[in-house]
Amino acid sequence: MSETQDDKWGIAHVHASFNNTIITITDETGAETLAKSSGGTVVKQNRDEASPYAAMQMAEVVAEEVQAQGVEGVHVRVRGPGGNQQTNPGPGAQATIRALARAGLEIGRIEDVTPIPHDGTRGPKNAGF
Amino acid sequence: MRVAVTGTPGTGKTTAVERLDSDLEILHLNEVIHEEEFVVEHDDERDSAVADIDAVAEYLDGRDDVLFESHLAHHFDADRVVVLRTHPEELERRLVDRGESDAKAEENAESEALDVILTEAVERHGEGSVYEVDATEREPDEVAAAIGAVVAGEREPQAGTVSFLDYL
Ligand SMILES: Nc1ncnc2c1ncn2[C@@H]1O[C@H](COP(=O)(O)OP(=O)(O)O)[C@@H](O)[C@H]1O
Ligand SMILES: [Mg+2]
Repeated sequence: MSETQDDKWGIAHVHASFNNTIITITDETGAETLAKSSGGTVVKQNRDEASPYAAMQMAEVVAEEVQAQGVEGVHVRVRGPGGNQQTNPGPGAQATIRALARAGLEIGRIEDVTPIPHDGTRGPKNAGF
Repeated sequence: MRVAVTGTPGTGKTTAVERLDSDLEILHLNEVIHEEEFVVEHDDERDSAVADIDAVAEYLDGRDDVLFESHLAHHFDADRVVVLRTHPEELERRLVDRGESDAKAEENAESEALDVILTEAVERHGEGSVYEVDATEREPDEVAAAIGAVVAGEREPQAGTVSFLDYL
């Protein structure tokens, strides 16, 4: 339908909490939201919302939506450890990145921007990527 | 019996533990870390001392019948781990009222919204040893009573009982 710009890129923001994963894809400035999905919208059962399966399904949906808007690739920003019994980044985050790639999106920089709880002291940073 | 009381800064750990009536020795790890200088480096961006986890673990080694509270408490061996939770909006207000910077209050509120400490506690100790306590809109004495119930073995382990993602 419309012309697509060459090499249009977006940012996939992955918020991974203990019970849920939220994926938002914005334009490269972060200002405009192009697609949004959360575990709750794909898998109804609460305990499964952080599961890799739910994250994969969500990633497929948002990938399709942004590709329809001409986006060819995304940089990924992961916030939150996500899921239980898993190492950082959580199963939601890893499955999300794989699913975005499988859906045909190019994956650029992957950044772990998980916040660090702190007062006068803080712990060492998790291993990250 | 070793009990760890953890939770994002501002969830009310120090306040609640001070009101706890217990036979356990009480340790405030923030004080220990500063007094013993268990610090590996300084995080200038956050104005925060990066704790030497191994040194603290060694300090705790051999101490039994102890309850230690800190947002780092879940990094150490414990029989039971209490994770205090407070809705990020309330947490942010409390931290600003306590005189913390907006940046500090916000990063801690976001940590709370993303269950960072709960996830770390469950990874380290397993769901069978973690006792999540929602302290939102609860008086310090009620929170102290909930911690007391964990110590007394009157509470079942639980994790993932709150969702604060609406904060984001
Ligand atoms: N249950 C509570 N209800 C309301 N305010 C609280 C409660 N517990 C603590 N506070 C207040 O919140 C702030 C942080 O409490 P504090 O005990 O220092 O938290 P922590 O030790 O977890 O960082 C303090 O100003 C304290 O007075
Ligand atoms: Mg404290």
